[in-house]
Amino acid sequence: MSPASVAAELSERTLARAGLTYLAEPGDPALGALLEICTPEEILAAIKADMLPGTGPGCGDSPASRAALGRALGRWRIRLPKLPSDADIAGACRGGTRLVCPEHPDWPGGLDQLGPGQPYALWLRGPADLCGSSRRAVSVVGSRAATGYGAHVAGEIAADLAERGWTIVSGGAYGIDAAAHRGALATQGITIAVLACGVDFPYPAGHAELFADIAAQGLVISEWPPGRRPARMRFLVRNRVIAALSCGTVIVEAGERSGALNTARHAAELGKPLMAVPGPVTSAQSAGCHRLIREWGASCVTRAADIIDLLSPLSATDAQAPAGPAPAGPAPAGGGGPATSPGPGPTSPAWDPALPYDDLDADTARVLDAFPARGGAGTSTLAVDAGVDLDTVLRCIGVLAGYGFIERGVDGWRLRRPG
Amino acid sequence: MALARTYSVALIGITGHVVEVEADIANGLPAMIMVGLPDTALREARDRIRAAIVNSGEEWPQRKITVGLSPASLPKRGSWFDLAIAIGILAAAGQVPRAALDGVMFFGELGLDGRLRPVRGVLPAVAAAVERGFRRVIVAEANAAEAALVPDVRVVAASTLAAALDWLCGTPGLRGGRPAAECKGSQDVLGEILPDGPVTATTPQTPDLAELLGQSLARRGAEVCAAGGHHLSLLGPPGAGKTMLAERIPTILPRLDTAAALEVTSIHSVAGTLPEQVPLLTEPPFLAPHHTATKAAIVGGGSGIIRPGSASLAHRGVLFLDEAPEFARDVLDALRQPLEAGEVVVARSGVTARFPARFTLILAANPCPCARAAGPAEGCSCSPTMRRRYLGRISGPLLDRVDVKIELEPVGRTELLNDRNFAESSRTVALRVLQARERAAHRLRGTPWRLNAEVPGSELRRTWPPAPGALRVVERSLERGQISARGVVKVIRVAWTVADLAGRPRPTRDDCDMALGLWLGVRR
Repeated sequence: MSPASVAAELSERTLARAGLTYLAEPGDPALGALLEICTPEEILAAIKADMLPGTGPGCGDSPASRAALGRALGRWRIRLPKLPSDADIAGACRGGTRLVCPEHPDWPGGLDQLGPGQPYALWLRGPADLCGSSRRAVSVVGSRAATGYGAHVAGEIAADLAERGWTIVSGGAYGIDAAAHRGALATQGITIAVLACGVDFPYPAGHAELFADIAAQGLVISEWPPGRRPARMRFLVRNRVIAALSCGTVIVEAGERSGALNTARHAAELGKPLMAVPGPVTSAQSAGCHRLIREWGASCVTRAADIIDLLSPLSATDAQAPAGPAPAGPAPAGGGGPATSPGPGPTSPAWDPALPYDDLDADTARVLDAFPARGGAGTSTLAVDAGVDLDTVLRCIGVLAGYGFIERGVDGWRLRRPG
Repeated sequence: MALARTYSVALIGITGHVVEVEADIANGLPAMIMVGLPDTALREARDRIRAAIVNSGEEWPQRKITVGLSPASLPKRGSWFDLAIAIGILAAAGQVPRAALDGVMFFGELGLDGRLRPVRGVLPAVAAAVERGFRRVIVAEANAAEAALVPDVRVVAASTLAAALDWLCGTPGLRGGRPAAECKGSQDVLGEILPDGPVTATTPQTPDLAELLGQSLARRGAEVCAAGGHHLSLLGPPGAGKTMLAERIPTILPRLDTAAALEVTSIHSVAGTLPEQVPLLTEPPFLAPHHTATKAAIVGGGSGIIRPGSASLAHRGVLFLDEAPEFARDVLDALRQPLEAGEVVVARSGVTARFPARFTLILAANPCPCARAAGPAEGCSCSPTMRRRYLGRISGPLLDRVDVKIELEPVGRTELLNDRNFAESSRTVALRVLQARERAAHRLRGTPWRLNAEVPGSELRRTWPPAPGALRVVERSLERGQISARGVVKVIRVAWTVADLAGRPRPTRDDCDMALGLWLGVRR
C-alpha cells in the first residue's frame, strides 16, 4: 500500500488535525478557541491561505481579538514550509505509529475536560487501547532526582495498581516516572508514557529501551508530531495531558520546585483526586509532597489500596455521610472519576470501597448474600441458604476472607464491618 | 574342648544386632561367669537358667562355666538371652548335638520351672536375624505368631526348654510336655490378616465421622489432614468436639500397607504394647498421651532398655495432644525433632537408639485457661493477656509445622439441622482420602516423600507451583497482611491436597481459595 492510498484512507479531518500538530504548539489558546468554532480543515486552509478563517460569532468580533488572531496566524505560518505533505503524514502513520483525534472512538473522554486546552490530536505508539485503558488510570509522577525510597514506593505502587487492572500514566522521565513505568511493566500491566516530544524521539536518550518496552505492551503518546524535539516549556504543557488522562494523580516524590507539582496543579484544576506519598520530613525530595498535603488538601496515600480506595467506582464513601477524608480543597469530589455506582445490595453493610465486589463470581456473591447481617453462620447453613454444595461454600469463604468481606468471629464466619 | 555357640539378637531401638553366645565348660571350681556387658537382669539369668535346666530334668555341669556375649561393646539387657545361654551350656556339656545349632536363633525368657516365656520386640529381632542369614528361630509360643510375620524363616514355637531341646535333638515328646511345633509361613499369616489385593480403606468402625454433626468445616479439615498427612491444630471451647474429631481421624486414614504394618508392629512389639491375639497392627495407631506425660514418655527413652515413646508408637498414625498448652514446654519442644526428621534419636551412654516417628500431629486447645465457653455470658473472665499467654505456651516452631488450623465453635440448632445434608460417613471419606493419597504418591514417586505434608516449601514452590493465576486471592490476602509468606506456602501445600481430593491434576484457583479459607478460619 502506497502512502498515497493510506492518505486517502485517513479522513480529511484527521489529516488536517495532524497538520495542526506540526504547525501550532499544543496548548495554544488561540488555536484552542478557534477549534471550538471552526473545523480543523477550515483552520488549516486559512493558515495556508494566510487569511483569517470565518467571520462567525466569537471569531474575531472585536478588533483586539482579530489582532491577536492575526498574530497567531503569523506564528503558525512560520512552520508552514516544514509541513509535510498528506502522503508524508500518512507515511508517518505507518510503522507502528497511529494518530488519534477527538472525533475517533479511541479518544479518551478525560481529555475533553481540558476544554479549549485539549490536544489537537495525539500521536500513539503501542498496542493498547487508549480510551479503554485510560478509563481506569492513575498517574504516578514525581521528581527526576528521586531517592531510593521514592523509586521503591513508586515501583511498588505502580506494580500493585497494574496488577489490579489499573493503567499507570507517567511522563517517562528519570526517577519516579521511570520507576512507575517499570513497576507496571513488571506485572504485565498497561502503562502510558506521555512524552513532550515526538513519539519516535527517545528523550531522555537513556530511556530508549524503556520506551520500546512500553510501546510493546502499553502506549507511548505525544501531542507533538514525530521528529519533534523536546523543549523546556513543552514538559509543562504536556503535564495537563497526564493529569487529564487519569482518574487521579499520585505525587510520589517532589521537591519544592518540582515539575511534578505542575501536574498536581492541573489535576487539582480538573477536579481530579490529588494524592501524595509522604516521605521523611527531613527530605528535601518530599517537601513538595508535604506541601501538597498541607496546602492543597492532597490525600496522603501510602499504598495501592489507599489509591484504589479513593478512586474506586464503588467508592461509597463519597455518597454516604459521614465520609472519610475525601479529597478536599481545590479538588472537588466527583469531578472526574467514573460515575459512582450504588453498593452491592440493599441489605449489605457499607462495603469497604477497596473490596473488589465486581471480581466475585456468581457463587461467591450468593454465599456472601447468605451471610446473616449480624452474628456468625455455620458453613452448612450457608450452603443451604445459598443453594450451593459444601465445597463451594468452603471455597467461597476463602475468597471472601481473602478479600476481607468476612472475618472469623467467636461464633464462626461473619460479615466484616469496615473500620 | 567343651565350647558351644548359640545366637540371639540384642535390640537397640528397633534395630536388631546379632549377638553370639559362647558357652565354655572347663575344669575348675563349679561356677558360672558371664562376661560381655550384661545388665542386672542378665546377671540374674545365671540363677534362672540353672533352675530351669535342673527343673527340666537335665544335668547342670558341675564345673566352671564361662558364658561370653559378643560383641562385648554392645549393651545387652533383660532376659532375652536366657534360652540361648541355656541351650549353649547344654550343648557345651554335650547334651545337645552342636550341629543342630547351625543357623538357629533363640529368643525367650526362662521360668524357674523351665517354661519358655515371651519377650518383647520379637518381630524386629527375627527380621534382623533373617537379614543376617538365619533361617530358623525358636521362640515362646506366645511370640510365635508375631515372629511368623517375617518372611523366609521357619518359626518353632516351644512351650518349655524341654520341648526346645527335643526339637533340637530330633526326639519329639521324649522329655514330656507339648512338643514344639513349626508355625505357618509368613505368606499364610499375612494372607489371613491382610485382605487380598491392594490395601483398601478401613472397615467401618464404631466411631464415625458423620457423628460430628454441625462441624462441616472441621470434618473437611480432618479429611484434608488425613489425605495430605498435614498436622492439625484444633481450637475451641470444651464440648465443641475437638476430641471427638481427633478420635475419628484414624477412621478415615487408609489401612497400613504391609511394610508400614510391619514397621508399626515392630515398634509396638519393642514397647510391649502389642495387644494379645493381634500379631500385626494394620490400623493406623492413635495415641493420646495425657498432658502430664514426661519427655521420655513422649519421645522415648528410659534408663536400661530404651523404650519408644508415644511419638514413635504413633508412627504412621495419629498423635493427639489434647489440652496441648497444658503439656510441659520441653515436652512439646522435644517433638520438633521427630516432626522434622520423621524419627526419634535417643542418645544414651554407649548407645544411640533410633525409632521411626512419622505421625500426624493433632494439637487441641481451649481458647482460654478457664476452659469455659468464650463470650461474656458464659462466665469466662480471662483477660486477653491471659488467653494469649495460655495459647503462647505452644511454641512457634511447633505451630510452624502445623498446616491446618481449625477453630470449632459450639453448634447451633439450625446448623445441626442443615448439616444433615452434608454429613458423610467415615467410609465415604476414607475412600476419597485413599485415592488422594495414591494420587499424591504417584506424583511424588522418585522423591523421598509420599505425602504432601512432607514436601518442603522450597521444593513446593520450585517443582509444584499451582496453576497460573490460582493464587490471586491468596496474594491479595498477603497484601492485606492476613497471611504471612510462610502461610502462603502452607496454603499451597494444602491446596495440593485439596486438588488431590478433588481429583484435579494441579491446584486451581478454587483449590487455593479453599485452602486459604481453611487457613484463615482461626481468630487471631
